[in-house]
Amino acid sequence: MSATLEQPASSAPSSDPTSVIVETRNLGKIYRDFWGRKKVNALKSLDLEVRRGEIFGLLGPNGSGKSTTIKLMLGLLFPTSGRVFVFGKEATDVSKNERIGYLPEESYLYKFLNAEETLDFYGRLFDMPASVRRERTEQLIQMVGLQRARRRQLKEYSKGMTRRIGLAQALINEPEFLVLDEPTTGLDPIGTREMKDLILKLREEGKTILLCSHQLADVQDVCDRVAILHQGELKELGRVDSLLKVQDTTEIHASGLSEAAKQQIKQIIESQGGSLKKMDNPTTTMEELFLDIVRESDQRPGRRGSGT
Amino acid sequence: MQLYPEQFWTYWEWLIEKNGLRDGLFLALILAVIGFLVGLIVAVIKHGPGEGFLNVSRLIGQLFTVDIPKLSGRRIWAIAKLAIKESIRKKVLVVVGVFIVGMMFAGWYLDQNADYPARLYISFVLTMTNYMVIVLGLFISSFSIPADIKSRTIYTIVTKPVRPLELFLGRVVGFMTIGTLVVASMGILSYFFVVRGLYHEHEVVSTDPEGRTGETSRVQRHRHTFTLNESGVGQTNENKGHSHIVKKVGDKYVIEGPLNDLTARVPIYAKELSFTGRDGEANEGYNVGYMSEYQKYIEGDSLSSAVWRFDGISPNLFDKAIGYDMTISAFRTYKGDIVTPVGGIIYFRSLDGKVETERLSFKVKEFQTDRRVMPLKVKGARKNKDDKFEPAELDFFKDIAPNGSFEVVVRCQDRGQYLGMAAADLYLRPNDLYFFWNFIKGYISIWLQMFIVVCFGVMFSCFLSGPVAIIATISALVLGFFGFFVDDMLKNTSNGGGPVESLIRIPIQSGSTVDLDLGNPALESGIQAVDRTLVYGISLLKNSVPNFGKLGTSDFVAYGVNLFGGLLGRHFTIAFGYFLLTCIVSYFFLKTREMAA
Repeated sequence: MSATLEQPASSAPSSDPTSVIVETRNLGKIYRDFWGRKKVNALKSLDLEVRRGEIFGLLGPNGSGKSTTIKLMLGLLFPTSGRVFVFGKEATDVSKNERIGYLPEESYLYKFLNAEETLDFYGRLFDMPASVRRERTEQLIQMVGLQRARRRQLKEYSKGMTRRIGLAQALINEPEFLVLDEPTTGLDPIGTREMKDLILKLREEGKTILLCSHQLADVQDVCDRVAILHQGELKELGRVDSLLKVQDTTEIHASGLSEAAKQQIKQIIESQGGSLKKMDNPTTTMEELFLDIVRESDQRPGRRGSGT
Repeated sequence: MQLYPEQFWTYWEWLIEKNGLRDGLFLALILAVIGFLVGLIVAVIKHGPGEGFLNVSRLIGQLFTVDIPKLSGRRIWAIAKLAIKESIRKKVLVVVGVFIVGMMFAGWYLDQNADYPARLYISFVLTMTNYMVIVLGLFISSFSIPADIKSRTIYTIVTKPVRPLELFLGRVVGFMTIGTLVVASMGILSYFFVVRGLYHEHEVVSTDPEGRTGETSRVQRHRHTFTLNESGVGQTNENKGHSHIVKKVGDKYVIEGPLNDLTARVPIYAKELSFTGRDGEANEGYNVGYMSEYQKYIEGDSLSSAVWRFDGISPNLFDKAIGYDMTISAFRTYKGDIVTPVGGIIYFRSLDGKVETERLSFKVKEFQTDRRVMPLKVKGARKNKDDKFEPAELDFFKDIAPNGSFEVVVRCQDRGQYLGMAAADLYLRPNDLYFFWNFIKGYISIWLQMFIVVCFGVMFSCFLSGPVAIIATISALVLGFFGFFVDDMLKNTSNGGGPVESLIRIPIQSGSTVDLDLGNPALESGIQAVDRTLVYGISLLKNSVPNFGKLGTSDFVAYGVNLFGGLLGRHFTIAFGYFLLTCIVSYFFLKTREMAA
């Protein structure tokens, strides 16, 4: 009887639940062995928010606490410390699941069902009437491009097809909030592109998406904000565009300046042996940023994240 | 087969008068209190007293305010359908094939020389079905949820709006749908196996010169003799538990199929059995020593008698005669003529004792059911004004049982010998019911046992891994099957004390028949108090698992006794009680379990 249970309204989250979909407060998780001895401190005092309408990326190397965070949000695990709210409700509140879609890291689906049966089964779990289930099943099979494989058992599917049917089941209830764990794993370049386009399209439809991925380029392409975790601690949190700016470097691109100004700049640049083209802050890549953070974290352990 | 009057209580009699409901509620209350306390202790250790208590209270509150009201039939059926598909994929239905193979080779292990082949055949199919479906239920139910957790498919279920109870109910409904299919298939196959296997026809091989008596051919290792009446119709003697109707048509004899081998007798038991002693005084019957725990004895050649009182017997139940069965045993105080059975007399009389039938002699058929009839038009005696009996022609329901109440009196004729009987040893036998329905009821009983096994299997699988869940379920079954051992242990605690006292007696070499003497009365009382608590705990544990010994009803079908609706209803209620228990336990474990841990 150790569950963190559905809580009464008095312990509601501090943020406005209409604008914040997920809020974690001082969230921690310690895995213990059978005798209650501490095995791993998987997550330490995590504070973050996922806001309505954004694509939020959760990044981190293996064992950084990404999956633990997602499992805590979904109520698959109970926090050792702190709280997590989804739609303003405790994560263990089953009713929140009506508005959530979840694509697990590997599509943990029943291999003996075919695509239609799979979607029908998950539709029933949302208490959807038969006519609605049929309609949604048809739409989703079209959307993920499994028309030709709709009656094949999932055990015959390739990994890419399995990801697609996994995504379809996550969308069966037209969720407001989607949790996608490694959505592009196993997809070929075209499939990856389609998946990213789909994620962007879903955001345009007003859905909020939490994306957990090792594919840094994917995160860079689609995420509005990211949180980077390492060794269970939040290392970086912010907008992708601002995080990728290299603050201590200046890059100048310019046009339409007055002759006098041009001359002045030109003189300076020519004195350095170059010519002026553009003036701006350059950006790095997500991969470089990520590796920098991990390297720095290894050298100097401790919290660094400062969310915006 | 030993029948007890409690097996023939009506449903309401059991529920209310015999405290079935009270005992069930008391057990539920005790289990609820224990469950609450254990949960509270765990929660307090993990979260501290305040939050721990709040968590447990909230958990209980949510069961009634959220999780039960928001149950969805569609979700339950979705999970049930999944369980059905999963079971079919695991080739569970192959068990029906195994059953068919088992029946094909039945001849290897069925005794062809049995006195009652019908009992043997029916017992065989019912026992085989019973064991197969219980093992099947055990395996499919214990491994399902652990397999989902291991393959992590459970992640995609519990992240949907699925309530813990729906997860449990879905599995139970799914497995029971498959179980019903299996039990029904086995039932249909068994019925044809029994009916076809027992059916046989004889031919007449020899007759007397007049053609009135004769002998049949030997079929299925037996033959019959027969006697025809003047119109050329008769019945063979009973052999191997059945007889045949024989008709003479012209010069030919026609022998019909077996009669009375597949029946469903409907015993009507007496409301009361009383005894009188050798001088006619009321007593509780004689005890002849350690012969039988439940039978009492009457003495021969004396006024000692056993009197069964029947109430509310309707004339509509009997066409031409009152059928009744006796299973009376004899206790000989001297050997005498061992070949000749001990004799007795039997007669029916009105409640006021003023009208009685003629006294009929009988010879005790030990270890057999003696089937007899009392014609409705019968010779007897009636007391006149001088209080003396005068011979009279009696109409049974008019003269002896005008309001449906009468007594049956049995006496022993042989001096120095005793006849033993219990309340259930003499019963009226109205027109038999159809064997087919009794057979179905026997299978419903097996279905109920499977239901309980599945409930326990799914419950244990909610918090244990597959192999451990199966061991836990087997333990519950074993405790249930051998619950009578626990009863015996409880009864014998006075000899040598309970577990602690017995343990102390070993090193101090104290005999079990003397009182414990440690020289400290307070210590002795303390030990006995601990023992009483332990024994009570064991009895509670025993009562909290189903007693499969009592739930089994195959003997009723095999011995041709109608399985009473009241008894089946009682078993349904008990099964429902265990279903509720497993429901609630599963709910709390699923609600508090980290699925991804």
